[in-house]
Amino acid sequence: MATLRSLTPLFVLALLYLGVSLLVQNSYYQLMLTLVLVWACFGLSWNVLSGMTGLISFGHASFFGLGAYTTVLLANQFNVSPWLSLPLATLIGAAAGLIIGLPTFRLRGHYFALSMLAYPLAMLYVFEWLGYQEVTLPLKRENAWAYMQFDDHRAYVMIALVMLLVMALLTRWVERTRFGMALIAIKQNEAAAEAAGIDTLRWKLRAIALSGAMAGATGSFYAVVLLVVTPASVFGMLVSAQALTVTMFGGVGTVWGPIIGAAFLIPVGEILHAEFGARFPGIQGVIFGMAIIVVILLAPEGVFWRVRDWLRVRHWWRARPGGASPPASAPAAAHAEPTHANVVSFARLRPVSDEAILEVRHLSKSFGGLKAVHDVSFKVRRGMLLGIIGPNGAGKTTLFNLLNGFLTPDRGEVLLRGVDMGGKAPHVLCQAGVGRTFQIMRPFRRMSVADNVKVGAYVRAGSEAEAERLAAEAIARVGLSAIADRPASGLTTKELRLMELARALAGQPEMLLLDETLAGLGRQEVEEVLDTIRGIADEGVTIVIIEHTMHAMVKLVDEFVVLDHGAVLVEGRPDAVTRDPKVIGAYLGKKWSAHAQR
Amino acid sequence: MSKMTRRSFTQSIALSLPAFAGLGRTAAAQTPQKVQIGLLVPLSGIYARPGTVMRMGAEMGIADVNAGGGIKSLGGAQLELVVLDCGDTTEKAKNAAQRMVAEYPNLVAASGSYLSSFTLAVTEVTERASLPLLTLSYSDLITERGFRHVFQTSATAGAQAEMALPTILRLAETASGRRPRTVAIITDNTAASIASTKAMKERLLAQHGLEMVVDETFTPPLADATPLVQRLRARRPDLFFFLPTVISDAKLMLEKMAEFNLRIPTISFGIAIAEPDVLNTVNPRLLNGVMSAVANWGTKGQEELIERLRRTHGEPWMTQNAISTYGDIWILQGALEKAGRADRQGVSEALRTLDGGPARYFPGGEIRFDEKGRRVGAGLTIIQWQNGVPVTVFPDNLALARPAWPTT
Repeated sequence: MATLRSLTPLFVLALLYLGVSLLVQNSYYQLMLTLVLVWACFGLSWNVLSGMTGLISFGHASFFGLGAYTTVLLANQFNVSPWLSLPLATLIGAAAGLIIGLPTFRLRGHYFALSMLAYPLAMLYVFEWLGYQEVTLPLKRENAWAYMQFDDHRAYVMIALVMLLVMALLTRWVERTRFGMALIAIKQNEAAAEAAGIDTLRWKLRAIALSGAMAGATGSFYAVVLLVVTPASVFGMLVSAQALTVTMFGGVGTVWGPIIGAAFLIPVGEILHAEFGARFPGIQGVIFGMAIIVVILLAPEGVFWRVRDWLRVRHWWRARPGGASPPASAPAAAHAEPTHANVVSFARLRPVSDEAILEVRHLSKSFGGLKAVHDVSFKVRRGMLLGIIGPNGAGKTTLFNLLNGFLTPDRGEVLLRGVDMGGKAPHVLCQAGVGRTFQIMRPFRRMSVADNVKVGAYVRAGSEAEAERLAAEAIARVGLSAIADRPASGLTTKELRLMELARALAGQPEMLLLDETLAGLGRQEVEEVLDTIRGIADEGVTIVIIEHTMHAMVKLVDEFVVLDHGAVLVEGRPDAVTRDPKVIGAYLGKKWSAHAQR
Repeated sequence: MSKMTRRSFTQSIALSLPAFAGLGRTAAAQTPQKVQIGLLVPLSGIYARPGTVMRMGAEMGIADVNAGGGIKSLGGAQLELVVLDCGDTTEKAKNAAQRMVAEYPNLVAASGSYLSSFTLAVTEVTERASLPLLTLSYSDLITERGFRHVFQTSATAGAQAEMALPTILRLAETASGRRPRTVAIITDNTAASIASTKAMKERLLAQHGLEMVVDETFTPPLADATPLVQRLRARRPDLFFFLPTVISDAKLMLEKMAEFNLRIPTISFGIAIAEPDVLNTVNPRLLNGVMSAVANWGTKGQEELIERLRRTHGEPWMTQNAISTYGDIWILQGALEKAGRADRQGVSEALRTLDGGPARYFPGGEIRFDEKGRRVGAGLTIIQWQNGVPVTVFPDNLALARPAWPTT
């Protein structure tokens, strides 16, 4: 329902566009109206992959060109109508997406962008070598419409408009489902997405297949409009750049971006060319380039986001004339009371079963000559709250990453309920019931708190509704219900910590791995977060928490594992550990021991 | 300057936007005496230079026709040239063609568009609009699509290859007293170059008893010509067919050949190697003796034209681009006279049935088009760089100088 409502402006605009195009008599303007739609479609295709996952593709011409050549070659050599070859080109685009994506997704960032650039360049030469320098779409004088050829060019505008609507709906559908959530999560933080149970490679492959299909269909239709296909006109650098330009100009990661970009840039570029081309050759390129530079400087994420942010700020000021700061989040009632009463030194005991949910045996990991973790063994029993502590450089984070799948052990086993999970991908561990948070917080900044948490719920949820329910529950458990609608970019450190906790909880883990959850918090904030963690443990979730300060931890955990130089120094109950001379000597110092005994 | 540009920029947007929405701007009102002819050539981008020269040819043609009394069957109507820029890509050329047919409904014919790929795209539009178009482009494809309104004044690439080989062999035999036996072909992979060598490689060489000892295709631009020249040096062919499109490639190759002191008769196809701006980058001494088979060039009998082009436009010699476009205007003059009406259907019909006698501004054949739209009997000229100028050396009746055969 919300999806449909959000599409109203799109349908209204489409109708307006149709109205204008029906009025236009001039075939050149009809061609421009068609090209605006074609490049908007191509921008949408690019957006599904690069806009949503953040993996910039400089080589979308691959799919576009394959689509164009499919159509023109089938028409030229086998007399196949574009009506038939357009769906085929769509499939070929999708297949090309998978074939290109599978090896290329091993790369990230600039490396991904640059290797994507290589594909269309290679294809350009392949098609030249094959002798397809110029392939024309044969002119049909009879039954032309059966070959997608029309005397009235308004027919092309209509076909392109239908294609754009279909692609916009597809994009909208992706945006509104777990597909889009997964892609946005990947864009904002791939590691966090993995940890939240998202199989990032599979979602990325789906995205590139969909994107390739859209580009293939667009290329196929472009061949019909262009009538003569040359390798440079469909595989060229400028074609790939066109997708980037219209999207980055209009707005990355939204269905509106490519539409705004194409609707502005294509006519302006063409007008400049038509008006100046013969008089001041080349000046159009200079003006066009400068306009794009100015827009990128003023609105780096595109016109759409700039305008939307501006409108939001105005709206916000109107709604809050006093400019008061947003209300502080109230912790959930269930966990609020004990905050101040609970100042005892050591954690109260909770029921812990004898069953080991996690057993670590002889775990080792080296980086070159450095033995970061060396022969570490311990057990985590169901329901317990275990603290792993040690000074900086003791190997805590390495151990942690071995437990949650971000690192593969050199030796040893990580047995989860008796099954060795050593070296399994993070999302597999997440599915197996192990949630985690990060030492350096990894929120999906543009998303609301609710959506951030919802990403974590998909690993358990069968439907959107269930995901929302699980997310709402998790948010309530950490006490963030009041600010569930706020974007993550505006949260305090404590709220971000709690939100990360909620994201991990939304996947309903049996066991939670918390990495320095208390880092960067003030004293009062530490108390609040500790209460929340304690509450979660009381509900029966097993928790392993890493900290380098023992200070707060003694009040929280049932047992400690103390690491030093990559090996287990001591393990045991907090009271015993804090009195242990080895711990005092290696880590705490005399002052603490005096304090603890008092 | 920036102020000017900005104002005219905003003005043109302000003018164009309502038109874009289909509200204003009908076709410019015409005085009935003017007959509009379109010229759709590249005026921006990397092909701007040949396009500009084509415009010079067209403007000279228009001036001469008008000075001669205009179109007499139309009461002395004057010709008017409408110039449009087809840019440097197939897509821009196609868009410009659409703009030409949409915004200038009174055009009776057009000439264009230099590169074969542009002409192919442009004619897809003009054919649908029934606008007759004359072209100097070579590609056989242009007149193989069953189009009714496209007229090719040059011999097609295939025909040129067919004609060039026996001509060059004859030239070699007379000049060197020995019939060549081995050839090398080094070509870039552009459409025109590939088309020019295809027939040679497939059968013409064998037909003429020639053995191909080097066969190399490269992608422009070349980074280093050494490996190619090494092959030439190893096989020492009697003839070397060299087909670059980019001048820097020609320069690299000729420099390397000079460096290796390799003196092999070098023959190119097309005008790329004989454009005036070649001299900006290549030393004329390197070019001396290099020949090329071209579809048209300034020839004997056009001395006055060549001089006028040099004087008014500063062009050192008459290339195919200038003379063919100049000739196009005279062909259209003939068609308009014959049609007796100033509309595209009439001119197209007249072009199909025109019989203008022996061609004056094109080598060989007549001013008459066959059912495909190809000029009947279209021949070619062989030009040779002599003392820093490429001059026509064949056929004899058009030659401005005698051919010189490089000796090894």
